[in-house]
Amino acid sequence: MKTNSILLASVLATGLWLASCTGKLDIKPVTSISAGQALTTASDLNALLVGAYDAIGSGNVYGGNLQRDAELLGDNGDVTWTGTFVAPQQMYTKRILVNNDQIDITWTDAYRAINIANTVLANLNLAASSDQSRIEGEAKFIRASMYFELVRVYGKSWGDGDNNANLGVPIVLTPTTAIDASTNVPRSTVAAVYTQVIQDLTDAESKLPSTNGFFATKGAAAAQLSRVYLQKLDYTNAAAAANRVIAGGQYSLVAIEQVFDLRTNISGVNTSETIFAIQITDQDGTNNLNTFYGASEYGGRGDIEINESFLSNFETNDVRGQLFYPDEIGAIRTAKYINQYGNIQVLRLAEMYLTRAEANFRAGTSVGATPLEDINKVRSRAKATALTSADLTLATILQERRRELAFEGTLLHDVKRTRQSIVSGTTTLPWNSTRLTYPIPLREINTNPALVQNQGY
Amino acid sequence: MRLLLSKLTVLLLVLLALPALAQSRRVTGQVTSAEDGTPLPGVSIIAKGTSRGTQSDANGNYSLELPPNINTLVFSFVGVTTQEISVGNRATVNVAMSNDTRALDEVVVTGYGAQSKRNLTGNIAQVSSREVANIPVPSAEQALAGRVAGVQITSLNGKVGQGLQIRVRGAASLTASSQPLYVVDGIPVTSSDQSSTTAPTNPIADLNPNDIESIEILKDASAGAIYGSRAANGVVLITTKKGKAGKTTFEVGAQYGISNPTHLRTWLNTNQYVELLQEALTNSINLGYLAPGTSLNNRFTRYAAGDATGWQAPNPKYNTDWQKEAFQKAPTQQYDFNARGGDAKTRFYVSGQYFDQNGILIKNRFRRLSGLANLDHTASEKLTIGVKLNLINSINDRVSNDNAFSTPMQIVALPPMTPVIDPRTNQLSGNYTLYYNPLLNRDFAALQTRVFRVLTNSYAEYKIVPGLTFHTDFGTDIIGQQEEEYYGQETARNTGAPNGLGINSFRQVVNYTTNNYLSFGRTFAEKHDVDATLGMSYQQSRSNFASVTGQQFPSDAYKQITSAARITGGAGNETGYSFLSYFARVNYRFDNKYILGASARVDGSSRFGANNRYGVFPSISAGWIISDESFMQSVPVISLLKLRASYGLTGNAEIGNFNSQALYGAASATGVSYGYAGVPGQAPIQIANPNLTWEKTLQADFGLEFGLFNNRLSGEIDYYQKNTTALLLNVNVPGSTGYRTQLRNVGKLDNKGVEVVLSSQNLTGALKWNTSFNIAYNTNRVTDLGGTTITGSFLNRAQEGQPLGVFYGPEYAGVDPQNGDALYRITTTNADGTTNRNATTNDYNVASSPENLVALGSPTPKFIGGLTNTFSYAGVDLSVLFQGQAGNYIYNGGGKFQSANGDYFDNQSVDQLNRWRKPGDITNVPQARLLGGNGTGESSRYLQRGDYVRLRTVTLGYTLPQSIVNRVKLNKVRVYVTGFNLLTFTNYTGWDPEVNSDAYTGNPVNLGVDFYSAPQARTITGGIQIGF
Repeated sequence: MKTNSILLASVLATGLWLASCTGKLDIKPVTSISAGQALTTASDLNALLVGAYDAIGSGNVYGGNLQRDAELLGDNGDVTWTGTFVAPQQMYTKRILVNNDQIDITWTDAYRAINIANTVLANLNLAASSDQSRIEGEAKFIRASMYFELVRVYGKSWGDGDNNANLGVPIVLTPTTAIDASTNVPRSTVAAVYTQVIQDLTDAESKLPSTNGFFATKGAAAAQLSRVYLQKLDYTNAAAAANRVIAGGQYSLVAIEQVFDLRTNISGVNTSETIFAIQITDQDGTNNLNTFYGASEYGGRGDIEINESFLSNFETNDVRGQLFYPDEIGAIRTAKYINQYGNIQVLRLAEMYLTRAEANFRAGTSVGATPLEDINKVRSRAKATALTSADLTLATILQERRRELAFEGTLLHDVKRTRQSIVSGTTTLPWNSTRLTYPIPLREINTNPALVQNQGY
Repeated sequence: MRLLLSKLTVLLLVLLALPALAQSRRVTGQVTSAEDGTPLPGVSIIAKGTSRGTQSDANGNYSLELPPNINTLVFSFVGVTTQEISVGNRATVNVAMSNDTRALDEVVVTGYGAQSKRNLTGNIAQVSSREVANIPVPSAEQALAGRVAGVQITSLNGKVGQGLQIRVRGAASLTASSQPLYVVDGIPVTSSDQSSTTAPTNPIADLNPNDIESIEILKDASAGAIYGSRAANGVVLITTKKGKAGKTTFEVGAQYGISNPTHLRTWLNTNQYVELLQEALTNSINLGYLAPGTSLNNRFTRYAAGDATGWQAPNPKYNTDWQKEAFQKAPTQQYDFNARGGDAKTRFYVSGQYFDQNGILIKNRFRRLSGLANLDHTASEKLTIGVKLNLINSINDRVSNDNAFSTPMQIVALPPMTPVIDPRTNQLSGNYTLYYNPLLNRDFAALQTRVFRVLTNSYAEYKIVPGLTFHTDFGTDIIGQQEEEYYGQETARNTGAPNGLGINSFRQVVNYTTNNYLSFGRTFAEKHDVDATLGMSYQQSRSNFASVTGQQFPSDAYKQITSAARITGGAGNETGYSFLSYFARVNYRFDNKYILGASARVDGSSRFGANNRYGVFPSISAGWIISDESFMQSVPVISLLKLRASYGLTGNAEIGNFNSQALYGAASATGVSYGYAGVPGQAPIQIANPNLTWEKTLQADFGLEFGLFNNRLSGEIDYYQKNTTALLLNVNVPGSTGYRTQLRNVGKLDNKGVEVVLSSQNLTGALKWNTSFNIAYNTNRVTDLGGTTITGSFLNRAQEGQPLGVFYGPEYAGVDPQNGDALYRITTTNADGTTNRNATTNDYNVASSPENLVALGSPTPKFIGGLTNTFSYAGVDLSVLFQGQAGNYIYNGGGKFQSANGDYFDNQSVDQLNRWRKPGDITNVPQARLLGGNGTGESSRYLQRGDYVRLRTVTLGYTLPQSIVNRVKLNKVRVYVTGFNLLTFTNYTGWDPEVNSDAYTGNPVNLGVDFYSAPQARTITGGIQIGF
């Protein structure tokens, strides 16, 4: 009996240790997967590139908040902010606090897209050789677009003092694989960031195809380049870049009611005027311009009301003056963002005509067409009366630009480069007021000792 | 390591074979109740120092073969004082056992075993079934508040069925969970939030508190180390009721009651609101913030349903008390039944319960239907087997988290001139209100969580030889949870879905565990007692989630996803983990006075980084029962004096399942696709850290236990120090890397504290009066964060040298009497280089620059405690529990909206009428400025002390005299009334000082935050218990 018991005990005890197969501890992640498994083939690289588009479509970047904040911070009495979010309210009142959570997330979401683009660029060898240059062009378009957006809100305006001394944003061109002292990257100068942006976009323009579905194209790179040059007051290059887009013949103006998706609750579409748009579907993507400009009956929060005075900018036959609607509470809304799943037009052809017109006008050139022809091209599409050469001044060109591009996110940048002032309450803020530049986010200042805060914060 | 343990096993087996055979003898007898002389079945009788034992049968009789050299029998029974009887030459030993339980001799569950409290060298707090039964709360832990020294239990807000925050001896973690490990009948169960929305749920609320026999909380390292890498936050062992041999007893109970909010706040009425806002407008125009000529009249009229008379003084037509609308009539009811009985061979406990509690908030309700069967069968003298089956269905009607326009409490932001019903439509006021009207969610939306849960456990115990038992068990915890959400067309303003939004989610969590261990207990040479445990455990958990979202429903009558014209979202994911563990424990007692203990666990887990797969968690402890020394026998006043000390290492493995790896995803952690317009995409989501490991807590504990005057006064004093290292942190990294954070083991924090427990029997005659008191002091300090600071949503931080979650930010300095500007203190340097805080600024950006920020207070109380008094006299019983905490602060994150001196159109708390109006005014409320941001930045303006004392539970019961009860053939009839949260004493001016908003718990630095958090419920119930 005793022997049996001991035997039994031994068997049981042995059983305990036998159960100890260490393999039981190898549980692999299946919802997310390991990095090594994720990036081994050409289609893996393609998926990563798509991930970079998704990243720039973030609601905090091109998904709408970047444009919204440029309109609020640059606003000069066209709209009223009625929402409760503190961050955009600070933009509207031009009193941005260093802990503003939007400037914090805009910064990190833009760099997230940059890191993905950098990862694509570092793994180009995975791509089929026929795709390599297209993929490189797309990644560089994305990277340059983000650096351009960052430098113009976090750095001083081009020409506000010494561009080679003014601080822009940190430039990172390689993927992050580890966090160490070297990741505390200091801010490069405004000039250095513009140089990087122009280099990437120029490269992208040469490598991208003319058509590429809804992804970046040669035209998109040139259009973005025209914005960059216009922002740095380089009118010759701005006119040339805009002209390349127009002359390329890939895009054409469409009827005004088609430019903006006036359908509701339906996945967005591009038109032949679209040069580059963030794609929104009812399954994926967020149209934050709808969120903030749209009435609640169209899925928005209705936080931004259009002031009645703005409507007087349009002559009666200008159909752009009809792109407004009163909502259930009687507030005036822009119809540009009535479709909550509508695509977000980042770059569209009308802007190229306006840019070419302005740049030609300022440079005294007529690359591609005369400024008058370009302005009237845009006006006639809107069924507005054609201007005569006597009407044509820099002011009328800029007014036309505002009428056409209102609420699309160009306002702050146009105010700065055209050296306008903004009246906020009884205070007049000059174009280079420190209150019109974002602070470096407090989170970044606390995390990265190499960063220097902006003046005024 | 495994090899070493194998050798130990062999050694143990060899030891067992040593005792030589000798002559044994048989002892018989009967066990009766000392109170009424009735036979006591099921009493365990053991030959002392051996594992040889038996149980008394249905008539209280027993018979036991007494081994040679053994002369003492140990009689023990749950709830009854254990007795040791010297047999002498007797062949018959009859024993009368007393129900008069003395705390010091209770048997305490220790994890893989049990021990008498007298022999414990660790700190284990025990709570009995009486203290958690029939309290009108869904979850047993809620009833523990104030009962256990050093255990802080906070309901996040007044929503029923919501998550709880439990801290054992302070928070020992930051990023990883600080919640304790829950083990129910030996099986670690799922206790973390399973909600797919941002409002957490509490899986422990699935357990019927009336099924609980005891709850043990393992607080120090020597008690916890047996649970190794998961014990650093303490371990909660829950033991369910088991069968007892004897006559089958039945008990039915019913309870009914009503809940109300503990406290309401006062808001402006229409006249006050209009006056304040008009004044704010005028001031902002004068200061140039707003254009001259701006008028609010149209806006007010819009808010007043288009009717200017709705808001105009002196007698506005509308004057709505919106706060009142957030609450509902809240009945609560409970019906339960149990049967208990069995014989010497087979014993059972079965129970069923229906619990239904309406929350005080509109559309908030928790229901639970549960059944439990515990069956034990003694197959032979050597083999006992048993099975437990616990089936639960809980249904929770939930509301949105605190930071949602749709959550009921945010209704207080609506201006008082808005009528509840829009007279133009006779519908609820909808699209014209300042914010979304949460009443629309009451009428047109639903969020229901339905949980089906199965907890099972099968075990076998085999007595291999006397003193050596092998225990094996296999347990499962299976959760099937469905969450169904529907938001009707009327809620479009909130959901952004014009024709209805439906979400249907399903989650399955399958968790199984097997424990296999040998227990050894033996007395050598009468004076040397050895208890040992050696075993292994394997646990695997897998969690699957799937969800479908649809929009465009024909009408609100169609709520199922299949009726949606557009399926707009879908999610499916899986995660899992496993633990493979070996554990050992040895206790050695010499002469029943000197006790030594040691234990260790080796834990391996799939969660740990490749470089750190296994961890070892040892502990040692010692105890000295001084009162048993001969020199103490001359001090009869002292009935017990015991010193104990322990030291050991435990871990925290709640580090996430795959956090050590570099990961790519095709969707974010929250399920947002990285694809783009239907084209598949992927993106890096996590940067690798192969060194990632468990957090380590080294804890030392020194305790003194005493009993005076024959244990009429007894108590325990403990001092502990817990040093946690390898603290897991989501360290902020520069955004230019493309990541926001990286998870690292970088931090250190300490908890130090003192716990005092006192119990006294003040009166023992016909009127009995017992008092038990506990108080705990704890200080928490983050000592190392690798130089970084972790910020929370408001002012909370984790910062070196400060307590965890410290409120750190601009210090509000009141109002400038000259111009009504909000002022903040700044740091200026004196001539001698020291600094002072005398100067102020009205510029919030200056005030929030790093050199001007200061620590403003800790969200964690320094003191927590409870005081229970129980009285009984002639069938009447009264129990009164006060519970409280002190030394903590609460930040009202909603302050900048609620109390913002007319900064925006939110209705304001009534104290805002004290705003600065003219030069010379001395007040704490700055000048009203519409959109002026005057004092509305996060600062100590919205910080308050959170001290409170609460009359937590009062129960008054009456047990009918036996003579009456027996006449109607019953055993026992008791009626009672219970009040929960009856009174609260606090200076906190928010809704309730027991708070930590559910909207921000995702970041563990966010502590002590109030954000439109509902007050706790004050519940009064009446009930009856009938036994037959």
